[in-house]
Amino acid sequence: MTTTSEKTQENAAPRRVDKAQYLVCAVLVAVGAFLIYDALTLDAGFAKVDPVGPKFFPLAIGVILVVLAVILAIAIPRGSVGEADAGEDVDPDSPGDWRTVGLLVGVFVAVILLVEPLGWAIAGTLLFAGAATILGSRHYIRNIVIGAALALASFYAFYAGLGIPLPAGILDGIL
Amino acid sequence: MNNFDWFLQGLSEAATPMNLLYAVIGVLLGTAVGVLPGIGPAMTVALLLPVTYNVSPSAAFIMFAGIFYGGMYGGSTTSILLNTPGESSSVITAIEGNKMAKAGRAAQALATAAIGSFVAGAIGTVLLATFAPPISRFAVTLGAPSYLAIMVFALVAVTAVLGASKLRGAISLFLGLAIGCVGIDFLTGQPRATFGLPQLSDGIDIVVIAVAIFAVGEALWVAAHLRRRPAEIIPVGRPWMGREDWKRSWKPWLRGTAYGFPFGALPAGGAELPTFLSYITEKRLSKHKEEFGKGAIEGVAGPEAANNASAAGTLVPMLSLGLPTNATAAVMLTAFVSYGIQPGPTLFEKEPLLIWTLIASLFIGNFLLLVLNLPLAPLWARLLRTPRPYLYAGILFFAALGALAVNVQPLDLALLLVFGLLGLMMRRFGLPVLPLIIGVILGPRIERQLRQSLQLGGGEWTSLFTEPVAIITYVLMAILLLMPLVLKLMHRSEETLLIVEDDKDQKEKAEA
Amino acid sequence: MIVIGYSADPYGRAALEHGIAEAKLRQTTLLVINATSGESYADPRFAQSGEVHDVEEHLASCGVEFELTQPVGVDTADELLTAMDRPDAALLVIGIRHRSPVGKLLLGSVSQQLLLECPKPVLAVKPA
Repeated sequence: MTTTSEKTQENAAPRRVDKAQYLVCAVLVAVGAFLIYDALTLDAGFAKVDPVGPKFFPLAIGVILVVLAVILAIAIPRGSVGEADAGEDVDPDSPGDWRTVGLLVGVFVAVILLVEPLGWAIAGTLLFAGAATILGSRHYIRNIVIGAALALASFYAFYAGLGIPLPAGILDGIL
Repeated sequence: MNNFDWFLQGLSEAATPMNLLYAVIGVLLGTAVGVLPGIGPAMTVALLLPVTYNVSPSAAFIMFAGIFYGGMYGGSTTSILLNTPGESSSVITAIEGNKMAKAGRAAQALATAAIGSFVAGAIGTVLLATFAPPISRFAVTLGAPSYLAIMVFALVAVTAVLGASKLRGAISLFLGLAIGCVGIDFLTGQPRATFGLPQLSDGIDIVVIAVAIFAVGEALWVAAHLRRRPAEIIPVGRPWMGREDWKRSWKPWLRGTAYGFPFGALPAGGAELPTFLSYITEKRLSKHKEEFGKGAIEGVAGPEAANNASAAGTLVPMLSLGLPTNATAAVMLTAFVSYGIQPGPTLFEKEPLLIWTLIASLFIGNFLLLVLNLPLAPLWARLLRTPRPYLYAGILFFAALGALAVNVQPLDLALLLVFGLLGLMMRRFGLPVLPLIIGVILGPRIERQLRQSLQLGGGEWTSLFTEPVAIITYVLMAILLLMPLVLKLMHRSEETLLIVEDDKDQKEKAEA
Repeated sequence: MIVIGYSADPYGRAALEHGIAEAKLRQTTLLVINATSGESYADPRFAQSGEVHDVEEHLASCGVEFELTQPVGVDTADELLTAMDRPDAALLVIGIRHRSPVGKLLLGSVSQQLLLECPKPVLAVKPA
């Protein structure tokens, strides 16, 4: 029985080594190491009633993260592959349009930097219109119009409805 | 006040015009996102978490519950009318449902799905109302060691049982636990992992994480892999069913509910397994076996009922124990935390009106879904013509809005981006998302329980194992972890079982 | 060669009929393009397999030499203009619908873009 299942598995999934997964290992090690380092800087606490102390959890988690990174690093060259998320709107066969993702990240960073000086009304418009354009919509005017409508509507809605003042930026006083 | 009195009170609360409005918004929104591919109820609830800042808890939860149930309805609509399912739990419905639609029986398929969902939802909610309070009452009597054991069990169950790779489940889980460490240590007051930033002393806001992982991560991932080829929609009029269809549907509805509810209530049960079981059962019991694969109505009725019953089931551990078993429940829990309500067994004691209002509104929402969706089904199909750039730009917009609304500081946007990229990474490398979120939510609570238990036990580690429930739970956990090894030793690995199921699926698809 | 901009609606079918008539008249071949940007999850103008089959049968029965392509993920107007750049392309046939000025601003007008930008003759038809 086991041999048949092995054969079926090998026929079903040709072994490919997905080296990009080392990125995951790197992240795991980085987070784990940080946790361990940070935990070691803590005071022990009241050891009598709290034998665990504040250090235990982060230390344990950090150590396990590094261990997992090692296990993963060993499993990768043996063909271990995580099945990429096949959501409903995803075309799993296409290689991955990372340029689009990079541009979106760029727009996001711009918004982060600009939201306080320029205000949400402008930054939100930039975010929506920019994202829509990057994702393929070529109706530039329409994108900006919709973005501005959303940004302004949400600005007022949050202020009047939820009592949350979003940054007004340079339009402070006008809005 | 006994439970039924509380239920009536809840019903009167839920029936207020304001709350009814929220219920309607919730179910409409839920159906819409269920129909649209790429967006799901979990993401929608995450994006709507900012409303919890100014809306009453009952209104917010009524809306979220509506979204939750609505998502199921919307998903089945898409799976029947399109050749691809709208929600992963609707995959089975798509097998027979789409065939029925292609054969011109879309109206019947939609009708049986909608009515079956209603029946299952109603029964499921009744079961929820019956079982959740006693479970919660029992759980309250448990001491800290037992509760700790249960939480750890839930963690392990979600990580180790769901999904193919335990390694990756563990990676997700520990990343989540790591994120949960950020903040001030509750016992000694020292800042941990806060990078020296005072804004992080309360920990990373759960809203930001939920929105980042579910919304931004998903949007970025879809952006990288946008489907280009449009799918075919089968046009349909109003759903309705003939007498014969009713006769053939009602038993599958009940059987489906019976499958779905227990699986939903168990941690790591999920909705895929009961729908699959329901399909196989209906196929075996059907008097019209030859229709399966070409559009048998039982193949839609059973799985859809199982789907909705499972959704109701997941609310049992969430409300009675504070344990989330799927993504949407996890996000709803963060809403509880956001309101300062402590989810857990004490919920029924401390906030009875809120809980019973929620349960009552589930009934109302379920009914609304039936009433709204039967006539509106063709309309939902038109929603699919929305250009995707606007959909995903909108998601990013609302995600940023939500994150900013938490504390009005750009730092949260930066965190949103960082964790959004984490979400992207996880989807690229097949790391399941649910363990991470559960790790973030349960991690600090587990740590708190652990240290408090030890405090109460005078610092002795053995005190963790003193209560019978704790011991039983740890034993169960050990069994759960060791079971795959045991099965392998018995020459029947899980993978073989799954491959057999897969082969069956493939054969059926080939015959179709 | 005559290029037809096809869509799975009455306008596209009108273009197809007129295109066939012209091809017979000029004794030339047909290139039928049914493009979609793939922007939406569902595009009702994109012909699905059943319709494609019907169109191909119809074209075959008319005795005209034809080619039917369905490019995905492209801009419809650009695709048609590129096709018209081919040296043997003589005429572009499209079905047009009425759009108000506001409609054109908000929703765009592929037909207007084609009419104005195509260097070769364009035949704009409406359904009967």
